[in-house]
Amino acid sequence: MEFLSPATWEEALAAKSERPDAVPIMGGTDVMVEINFDRRRPPALIDLTRVPGLREWRADGDGVRLGAGVPYTGIVDALGGAAPALAAAARSVASPQIRNRGSVGGNLGGASPAGDAHPPLLATDAVVELASVGGVRRVPAREFYLGPRRTARRDDELIAAVLLPAPAGPQRFAKVGTRNAMVIAVVSFALALDARSRTVGTGIGSAGPTPLRAPGAEEFAAAEFDWEGGAPLPESAVHRFGELVAAAARPIDDVRGSAGYRRHALAVLARRALARAAADYREGGARCA
Amino acid sequence: MATRMFGMPVQRTEDERLITGKGGYLDDLGAGAYAAAFVRSPHAHARVRDIDVTGALDVEGLVAVYTHEDLSGPMAEPLPLLIPHPAILDGRTPYALAKEYVHYVGEPVVMVVARDRYVAEDAVGRIAVDYETLDPVVGIEAAARAERVVHAGMSDNVAAHLVQEVGDARAAIAAAPNRIELDLDIERSACTPMEGRGVYARWDGRDAMLRLYSSTQTASGVRAAVAAKLGLQLGQVEVVVPDVGGGFGVKIVHPWPEELMVPWAARALGHEVKWAEDRREHFTAAAHERAQRQHVTVGFDDEGRLLGLDVDILHDNGAYLPYGIIVPIVTSTQLLGPYKPGAYRVEFRSLYTTTAIVTPYRGAGRPQGVFAMERTMDAIAAHLGMDRADVRAANFIQPEEMPYDQGLLFQDGRPLIYDSGDYPASLEKIKKLVGWDDFTAYRDAARAEGRKVGIGLACYVEGTGPGPYEGGHVQVETSGKVRVATGLTTQGQGHQTALAQIVADELGVPMSDISVTTGDTRRMPYSVGTFASRGAVMSGSAVALAARRLKEKALRIAADALEADAEDLEIVDGRVQVRGTPSAGIELGTVAVLSNPLRYAFDEASKAATQFTGAADYTRPPVAADDEPGLEGTDFYSPLRSTFASGMHAVVVETDPETAEIRILRYCVVHDCGKLVNPLIVEGQVHGGVAQGVAGALYERMEYDSGGQLLNASFMDFLMPYASEVPKVEIDHLETPSPLNPLGIKGAGEAGVIPGAAVIAAAVEDAEGFAITRMPVSPSELFHLRRRFDKGGIAPLPGAYSRTGEANA
Repeated sequence: MEFLSPATWEEALAAKSERPDAVPIMGGTDVMVEINFDRRRPPALIDLTRVPGLREWRADGDGVRLGAGVPYTGIVDALGGAAPALAAAARSVASPQIRNRGSVGGNLGGASPAGDAHPPLLATDAVVELASVGGVRRVPAREFYLGPRRTARRDDELIAAVLLPAPAGPQRFAKVGTRNAMVIAVVSFALALDARSRTVGTGIGSAGPTPLRAPGAEEFAAAEFDWEGGAPLPESAVHRFGELVAAAARPIDDVRGSAGYRRHALAVLARRALARAAADYREGGARCA
Repeated sequence: MATRMFGMPVQRTEDERLITGKGGYLDDLGAGAYAAAFVRSPHAHARVRDIDVTGALDVEGLVAVYTHEDLSGPMAEPLPLLIPHPAILDGRTPYALAKEYVHYVGEPVVMVVARDRYVAEDAVGRIAVDYETLDPVVGIEAAARAERVVHAGMSDNVAAHLVQEVGDARAAIAAAPNRIELDLDIERSACTPMEGRGVYARWDGRDAMLRLYSSTQTASGVRAAVAAKLGLQLGQVEVVVPDVGGGFGVKIVHPWPEELMVPWAARALGHEVKWAEDRREHFTAAAHERAQRQHVTVGFDDEGRLLGLDVDILHDNGAYLPYGIIVPIVTSTQLLGPYKPGAYRVEFRSLYTTTAIVTPYRGAGRPQGVFAMERTMDAIAAHLGMDRADVRAANFIQPEEMPYDQGLLFQDGRPLIYDSGDYPASLEKIKKLVGWDDFTAYRDAARAEGRKVGIGLACYVEGTGPGPYEGGHVQVETSGKVRVATGLTTQGQGHQTALAQIVADELGVPMSDISVTTGDTRRMPYSVGTFASRGAVMSGSAVALAARRLKEKALRIAADALEADAEDLEIVDGRVQVRGTPSAGIELGTVAVLSNPLRYAFDEASKAATQFTGAADYTRPPVAADDEPGLEGTDFYSPLRSTFASGMHAVVVETDPETAEIRILRYCVVHDCGKLVNPLIVEGQVHGGVAQGVAGALYERMEYDSGGQLLNASFMDFLMPYASEVPKVEIDHLETPSPLNPLGIKGAGEAGVIPGAAVIAAAVEDAEGFAITRMPVSPSELFHLRRRFDKGGIAPLPGAYSRTGEANA
């Protein structure tokens, strides 16, 4: 196995262009597991840890441009206000040691449907910035996940950053795991209310071949929600929302839980998220409106 | 008189070393050794057609590749069946390297030795084994159906079949006014110690001596097994056990294939060889436990008293039977717990499957037995609408009935006679500790808030400290320092502390002057091993007896030197002195000097013992005919029978009405292991045991697919509970001394884990209102049980929601 260690972003892009089969590595929290388990023997690794800038984030218009290599710990520490759902998800990732190494770029690169970062990126309509020697292109997270571990990233591209829009309303993230920490989610869910566009965003993790949205649930909630005052939704509407989210999932039976339980738990998480987001909306009415 | 150390909550003296990274574990040794790695079967059941190693031969740094064809003599024969038993019908054991068939994923087929592990693994990757795959047999149902058999030459998969009966249980049940049947199911789990297995061997060709280091629970067992297989005399083999990062049972198995191949290769190559297991190997190729199916039929009277109990057990023993049938024997005998069962019949079949072997894991069959009995007790209570605690109380053996003979043979081949215990007192304590009688009000209040809470209770009796024996050797150096050795091994139990406490009291020396060595055949060659909660009982008693012998000698020599009567002497703080006249005394180190008559002086102290300066009595030889030089004592403790510790756990759980997540709100333990050597250590043992009990109840399982592949062979998917899942444990002790040993103690190592599945099942059942018959239970499974219950697929418990505190209601 070849080990490439570019010192600059340009060198990294050149390396990826020359060796499209090379696998980028930063924290190694996914890549090393796969290598150790012999699930994958990539012909080359591109170590991105020396590339400057990947571990940085900065304001970008109203939002934030998050370097692909910012560790989850950094997101927890700095972005609780700028990206509440992503920060909540980051907080729930694995253990402190893994949060110190793992990054959103890694989650996007591996594209496991269980990655904790995906649901918030979908719910908040974040944008993935991809780069190659040919230039930069921006792909909305909602168009990024194409199939099981398949994404819109071309083989010669590296993930440079994620653009996180400024929140315009409450955001929520929740997951069910068999254990309280250090566990691959049985199912996870993110919700974002956008008061400006009066839209609702959703993201579903661990309940399908890719991270998923629930467009029907989004439209339903946007139509039902009291965008003026954030009045509590009727029980029936909350319930319907949960059903629509569950219906959008495409879960399987596995070691962690059955498909039936996943759908059920997802509906519960969705109901709870919507009810709590509505409460947040009322409380923070002045801030968000 | 110095403070008595026995019974004091002394901080463990080994901890500073271990938690500051100064421990020396197997893989810390042998930096210059060649590394071994193994080609392991990827199939659950296959015939090895051909092994092609040519691809590995040009790997730079490769030293040797071995297959079964390279073995001869005893090494080419199957491994020993360690514990034979007449009930074993066809005892199969593996080869050191697979001969023709493989019977589980992970079975070693080829051994590679190389400069380092990286090279060895590369070579492993280039060896091609051609397999003819055969039908796997996974799970108890498939094994019992026997449409496919695991072992060639067998017509079914039954490794062993045993029936034990006291009275005519079936007749008693038929005549009983009430009768219930239960079908119960427990899944596989495993010990998963932090450190896996590991072996490091040094062969000294000039001395023809083998030094073997192994991460094992039995140094003497490994020594004997390796000597037999390698054709060596016992005296040519030394086994030293370094620090061991946990065992929990799995490391009592010996010899492992790897434990034979490593020293065999070291001798063949004339070079040190080491193998340290990786985590995947541990999951697939070490050992598991627990999986059983049980059918219980019970007859009882209207007060809940057992009249007849008939239990039929199917036990999954995995691919081979190297450790015999200890686990199902323990299940079928320890199932009785603190109760008088009336007439009792128990029958088990131990079944081969094409999965990892099953050998004792902390609790060793008891968690399954307790599950059967305690689920039965709860079912009786539900049937009669009685308080669950009252049903138990109605069946207890009373303190005045001790010693109580259950009429069966225990796992040590000796009668199952309980030595002592006070079960009614334990029940009162646990009810008080958990607030049993007030729980109905709490549950009703919680339910009014839309919460689901439940309480469970489970009792157990645990045979601990089985023989045949352990030895102790205690020696006072001329410096006054005391060296203690016992043969059994230590995996974190705190033996260094507890045994030093015992010796400190016996000898009257400070603990800081005492060092303890375990698991080193050079220091104590006669030993059995660490299992079945026997460390304190066996080695504690043995070192106490050895120290008493030493003390007798010390007093005799000191009496001569002080011209006093030995009866008037005492040892205080390492000094022998005349009782009442402490100024007349002699240091224990000086007594050690005097105990060894010398010709040569090598320092100031030793001058006192030489021929021209020592006290001379020309009528006696320097060492009397019935004496020997040195201030040492050796003795062995061999008990008549096991001692029987007991305890009761109560747990309060809350189940999420929507997600079915299960949370433990309170976990209470009443524990009776006789006299406590060190309450701090005992409580630590209970905490660790409870953590593993919670693990088995809510988290851990071995997820084999129908092809025999272990799907969750990593800590990502095999979920151990973390600090965030292990509840705070509230403990109360009872100390009913054992009459069987000099210290009045019983074992404590396994207790905490034993009632875990039973008590949590009871609490979840209480919260949900329908029977829980399978463990572990995950949120996903609880969700599906609720669905079935809602659709009428599961009957509600007859007395559901009114099963505690009836006395108050």
